[in-house]
Amino acid sequence: MMAPPHLTKAFILLTPLLCGCTTIEPVAPFERGYLAEEGMLWEGSPRNAKLKGHVYTSKEASSGGSGAAGGGCGCN
Amino acid sequence: MVMADAPPAFTEVGLRYTRYSEDSLDDNKLLFGSRDRYDIDVTQLWIEAPLGANWSVALDVQNDYQTGASPWFVGAQVDGQPGVIMSGASIQDNRVEVGVTTRYFWADGNAGFAVSHSNEDDYEALSVAFDASWNTADDARTWTTSFSSSADTVNPTQGTIPVFIDEEELDTQSTYFGVSQILSRTAVARIGINYTYSEGYLTDPYKLRDQRPDSHERLAFAAGYRKFLIDADASLQIDYRYYADSWGTDSHTLELGWAQNLPQSLLTPYLRYYSQREADFFSVVAEFEQPYFADDYRLSSYGAVTVGARWAVTLGDWLLELEAERYMSDASWGLYAGDEAPALVDFWRGTVAVVWRFD
Repeated sequence: MMAPPHLTKAFILLTPLLCGCTTIEPVAPFERGYLAEEGMLWEGSPRNAKLKGHVYTSKEASSGGSGAAGGGCGCN
Repeated sequence: MVMADAPPAFTEVGLRYTRYSEDSLDDNKLLFGSRDRYDIDVTQLWIEAPLGANWSVALDVQNDYQTGASPWFVGAQVDGQPGVIMSGASIQDNRVEVGVTTRYFWADGNAGFAVSHSNEDDYEALSVAFDASWNTADDARTWTTSFSSSADTVNPTQGTIPVFIDEEELDTQSTYFGVSQILSRTAVARIGINYTYSEGYLTDPYKLRDQRPDSHERLAFAAGYRKFLIDADASLQIDYRYYADSWGTDSHTLELGWAQNLPQSLLTPYLRYYSQREADFFSVVAEFEQPYFADDYRLSSYGAVTVGARWAVTLGDWLLELEAERYMSDASWGLYAGDEAPALVDFWRGTVAVVWRFD
């Protein structure tokens, strides 16, 4: 099983981030124009983001974070 | 983004070409073989279209053509420093991946089902994935979940270096759960957790001194933030990921982007920092008297910096995308202690895409 210290550290690191998100203002639908800007998307170009993530995953020990993993490949 | 859900209003056809090119290995780190490392040409073709009032379907085809040499093992040079023995003559490999995704939309969410098949000379993977997103009544919060399963078969090819297996299997299951929240009329944030479990053959068959456990648990926590700056007419993008796995590796990844609106285009320079801790069984020169061992630089402690920029230009129904990035790695840039693996890689990646959207 995974080493518990890693999990503990992850929670400690993410707690301030989560707390920083607690200031929430109600935003009416007609006030969401800026939120619809292209630059506000999580992934501006999903297929490019997938390929870019695939390159990093092939060359680094880490993977994941934004969704379930896809199929593997023999990329080395 | 948190919005009412509906199929795309148009059909999209896209073609993307990507060139990936690794720097040659430094002379003083090479013990034997070719200095040239991998170059990969990637071509992606896709079509995505609405289907009736509530459905969309997408077909993706991708071809990768790869040439070059890769590190075979690490030994000691005359001066005692570690040196890389490369795989020798250039390897050539072609990979074709075909994927189909269908998606159903309703007023408060959408759900997708995807099937993908990847085939190359020495590796085959079949994967299925399901994802769903649903919004709260005020459309200010979106919950997302996804599951995937992949069945892979490894058939290493006998080439310039010997391999010691004929065929092995690898199964992977993965799940994700996340939430995004509108914070204000100019800010949105998200967090998510991703767990992946692999069981089967996880050793690299093309490395001489590589013996890895037959299971691998991976956990990633991710957080993202987007802020639109009205005066600058630009968006600030911040993404962070913490990763830990059952092989003793953990890592931090931080990416910052600035998406600047320009006439008919969006220019996004970005900066990424990555640092990982070495796996428990990694050593610069593999200790093969241990149960598990590896000298793969990808399992070593190091830090990496990526600098890049993306430019998306809209011309009527057409979209042109250009992106280039430089990836540089060094053991001294990392947050974690560990000896430097001599085969650490630097690379360039450039991509150009043309997308046509029509009713």
